Amino acid sequence: MLNAVKQSWLTFKSIFTGMGVTIRHFFGPSVTLRYPEERMELPKGARARLFVNIDDCIGCNLCARACPVNCIDIETVAATKDVDLGKTSTGNPKRFWLTRFDIDMAKCMYCDLCVHPCPTNCIYMVPEYEYSEYDRSNLVYHFSNLEPEMVAEVKEKAEQEAEQKKREREEMMRKKAEEKAKKELEEKKKADEEATKNEKENGGE
Amino acid sequence: MIEVISKETGNKEMVINMGPQHPSTHGVLRLELVLDGEIITKVRPHIGYLHRCFEKYAEQMDDYAKVIPYTDRMDYVSAINQEHGYVIALERMLELEVPERVEYIRVIMAELQRIASHLLGIGAFGLDLGAFSPFLYLFTEREKILDIFEKVTGARLLYNYFAVAGLMRDVHPEFKTDTAEFVKTFRPKIKELNDLLSYNKIFIQRTANIGVLPEKVAFNYAASGPVLRGSGVKWDLRKNDPYSIYDRFEFDIPVGTGEVGTLGDCWDRYMVRVKEMEQSLRIIEQALDGMPDEGDVMAAIPKRIRAKEGEIYVRTESPRGELGYYIVSDKSASPFRVKARAPSFVHLSLLPAISRGSLIADMVAIVGSIDIVLGEVDR
Repeated sequence: MLNAVKQSWLTFKSIFTGMGVTIRHFFGPSVTLRYPEERMELPKGARARLFVNIDDCIGCNLCARACPVNCIDIETVAATKDVDLGKTSTGNPKRFWLTRFDIDMAKCMYCDLCVHPCPTNCIYMVPEYEYSEYDRSNLVYHFSNLEPEMVAEVKEKAEQEAEQKKREREEMMRKKAEEKAKKELEEKKKADEEATKNEKENGGE
Repeated sequence: MIEVISKETGNKEMVINMGPQHPSTHGVLRLELVLDGEIITKVRPHIGYLHRCFEKYAEQMDDYAKVIPYTDRMDYVSAINQEHGYVIALERMLELEVPERVEYIRVIMAELQRIASHLLGIGAFGLDLGAFSPFLYLFTEREKILDIFEKVTGARLLYNYFAVAGLMRDVHPEFKTDTAEFVKTFRPKIKELNDLLSYNKIFIQRTANIGVLPEKVAFNYAASGPVLRGSGVKWDLRKNDPYSIYDRFEFDIPVGTGEVGTLGDCWDRYMVRVKEMEQSLRIIEQALDGMPDEGDVMAAIPKRIRAKEGEIYVRTESPRGELGYYIVSDKSASPFRVKARAPSFVHLSLLPAISRGSLIADMVAIVGSIDIVLGEVDR
């Protein structure tokens, strides 16, 4: 009997202690935000979205190689001799046209591994988180600022130059081969002459 | 629903599925329960609903460092602790020296993460048993920890913050004051939690004498962490096999006492977690005092990781128990094999042993008290 009374008292006490805590919280300050009207400010280094400052990119492909999920897709075309792409703000010379620089944010896992190897610090995370889309293909961000016509032109030019180089190289190879053949022929001739000479000398004895 | 006749008792038994879409199975766990009325006679856990091939992925990567973000995703509730184990394994393998400042920051982060993980574990445990407000109040505190993390690492849940022999970025200048402030405000919250939940009579009725795990059974099933300590065994890898710089700090190992019921019941396991948060606060305070102000945290990170041929097993104390990484290297750029010994997986195997004979409503309490994360079970 006494035990039952004691137990009920303990139950009563523990429940009202808990109630006291909830009442204190009830009159305490609010901890939530009404989201669309109020927004939480993300800290400076928050990793919410990848951004590429394409003017500073030198097309070295290091970020794409560092990515564990292969969400960065880069295509570069070597610049021809007649154009100078200038330098990045960090002073690195640019040698490639960036015909494609796509980042698939649907694949990205926000690990920050692509940010560290960049030599010009042009790829980084920005604290911008409201970019949901209805279609997943819209999450592929195209950072290359070249127009399609420009891309075609650049590619054609690069191809032409590459072809020219190839032709030049072939020409050179051909010349080299010719020279080599000539030399060999001469040497052979010489050897033959010497041989006949020797033969004659031998024959003369 | 299937009905079978029990061979032992001759009673009609019923087989039902709990999960994989059950709110209190903490993820996608399916429990096949064989019931005799309301009494559980058999439990068969079915896993694999969250399998993401972590171990195979690790072999496919062309760099050891690329595996670190994947370790985060094993136990997404305590990501920092998962990283900690992996980077320590690599550092021991490569025989690298870790800068002092890095070690201190790591310990602070790992202990903060331990508190955050326990907050979620305890909160969800209470929620499963019908206590809604503690869950909300604990989440408010957890949010503060995540804010600290976000300011430091840039992410809220999956950090990828630890690098081999370094950190991905330095902490911000206000890190020390922020963390000290949190420690100060969090202490009274533990008392509040005890008032609200721990010593609440209803909660005690639901958890005391339920799911009793005797010491011997715990040893036989290789339990570790709070589950083992709840059974009264003083075993903590931070003390018994110190890694990082844990041997420099003073803290106690809380163990279950059987205060309100039997030793090793759900309440003991729960209380161990509550007491552990206090100890974590003590470690954080000491680490904040000892943390050097100067030092480059990124200087010692190797550009390329080339391990010698060999293998290593490193165990660390994650909030859930002994987290071990077994890494085999074959001299190439990627690991030949990575095996993670996940405490949740081990503890899940305990479930049939400790839940036999209990009521179906207590199953929820038992699952909550062993605090499993399905991401870690399936990997």
